[in-house]
Amino acid sequence: MSSIIHIKDFTWRYISADKPAVKNINLTIDEGKFVGVIGQNGAGKTSLAYAIDGLIPGQYHGVKEGEVNVLGTEVEQFHKGMLQQVVGMVFADPEAQFTAMTVEDELVFGMENLGMSIPEIKERLEWVCTLTDMTPLLAKPPYEISGGQKQRVALAAVLAMTPRVMILDEPTSMLDPYSRKRVFDVLGKLKHENKMTVIVIEHSLENLIPLADEMILMSHGELIRHQETHEFFQDIDFLLANGVYPPETPLFFHELRKRGYYKGPIPVTNEEAIKVFPCKTGG
Amino acid sequence: MNKTLLGYVPEQSPIYVVHPFVKLFFMLVVSLFPIVIYAPEWNALIMLVIILLMWYSRVDMKTLKIYVPVAISMGTIILISYTVLGGNHPEFRLLVRFAGINFYWERIRDGLVVYFRILPMIFTMVFFLSTSRERDVIVAMRFVKIPFVVTYVFAMALRSAGLVLEDFFIIRQAEQARGFDTTGKSLWYKIRKYIMYMIPLFALSLRRAEEFTNALVARGYAFTGEAARVKRPDYVLTHYTFKTLDMSLTAAISAIFLIILILRYGYGYFTLDTSVFISWLSRVL
Repeated sequence: MSSIIHIKDFTWRYISADKPAVKNINLTIDEGKFVGVIGQNGAGKTSLAYAIDGLIPGQYHGVKEGEVNVLGTEVEQFHKGMLQQVVGMVFADPEAQFTAMTVEDELVFGMENLGMSIPEIKERLEWVCTLTDMTPLLAKPPYEISGGQKQRVALAAVLAMTPRVMILDEPTSMLDPYSRKRVFDVLGKLKHENKMTVIVIEHSLENLIPLADEMILMSHGELIRHQETHEFFQDIDFLLANGVYPPETPLFFHELRKRGYYKGPIPVTNEEAIKVFPCKTGG
Repeated sequence: MNKTLLGYVPEQSPIYVVHPFVKLFFMLVVSLFPIVIYAPEWNALIMLVIILLMWYSRVDMKTLKIYVPVAISMGTIILISYTVLGGNHPEFRLLVRFAGINFYWERIRDGLVVYFRILPMIFTMVFFLSTSRERDVIVAMRFVKIPFVVTYVFAMALRSAGLVLEDFFIIRQAEQARGFDTTGKSLWYKIRKYIMYMIPLFALSLRRAEEFTNALVARGYAFTGEAARVKRPDYVLTHYTFKTLDMSLTAAISAIFLIILILRYGYGYFTLDTSVFISWLSRVL
């Protein structure tokens, strides 16, 4: 599998800050992977995402060191608006990212910017509406729908541009559990049907873990761990020491292992945990 | 119900048959009628026609009640300006002298005429805003090939007005929750303390501007460079077709305006001298 994102010795300091927001980041992400990025607030997750989408240094003043390459090209070398054809970004606050007066206009805005033909826009619009269940909302203003619907609109608007990499910066931070699940359902479809490279910055681990192929942990601007998801959750003590509280299932098995009741690898989802206990019912 | 800029219109309204450009054209041209029409009865007729159009478009007429106090206040202010604050004019016909103030026929007449010329303009605007959504305004502008960036800035201005208002309420609630509340205080106190709302509102607007710029960049929009040279399709316009009816309506509105101009400047119609209402009022007073 070829790498789509390659970051080498990347450090970024905002002009107004004393310390770098991210420092010495070395990271390679293969195409088609679903990557979860976690870490405490202020760990540098958003700055890293902005760097991949070219918002850093494009929209912010600061000092950059190292390289951030997307498809083998340094993000600063992309012409204005060209990187966004490859990398799509969904922000935490859905309302702040609306650029149009109706949901439909919002969904087609990005495609119009890419200069797509009308039939192509129509086709992709239908696809994205089916994927995100957006059709009943098309005529509504995006700021008059519910929070969960707003975030799905924001997600669909970027999806419609069919970027090769999707970055979602805490897409469910403002949502209730049901809306959160619906957003992750869409991400699940993306992973299984579209083979898109997806990077999700998220605190809601119970939704993220079942989808993530790899996990990244950031702390104080540094990337301190990048592993395959299953491997990542084997060292629970390390995660706890760095302010990450894993979901109940891995925590429970971690406790069992500490007390000597369990010796195997820690299951990270409920489905995996059920398989650990080969109990039979009905007899 | 579909939300419009000023209210709600049912989804089955006949107004949707009309292309947004026709609505905008109607608003722009019919607003010009009172500029050349002086006779109040003709302006009253325009208002009546607009009310009928609103009724036909199934605009919720109850919402129009909110404009009654506005119309009364406006009329009162105009009348006071022309009479109480109108000054002494010995050359005019004095009707009555009350509390040292002279009330002249000409000043009352002029006040009424001005009032009846402003009202149709407001009615036209209310009709347009009651039957149009933000999207209609954008479509109408794009239909006449106004550059995308201009229509976009206009759309964002419309949207940001709502956002600023929403932010203002959030700030006010947040400050109320922390014990700062101007409710029930004097007007002077409210004015002095308004800065308490304005500073956070300004800071929040700056943040929103930053987020919005990021969103535009993230959607591949660029004012300059290669991406800005991409030929933009206008998907929204594909939903609207300018039909024979629209052409006929546009032609009819233009023709009526032309006829009014000819009657006014060619034959002296719509002037005060030919006004039935003014001559009747003059006799009565």
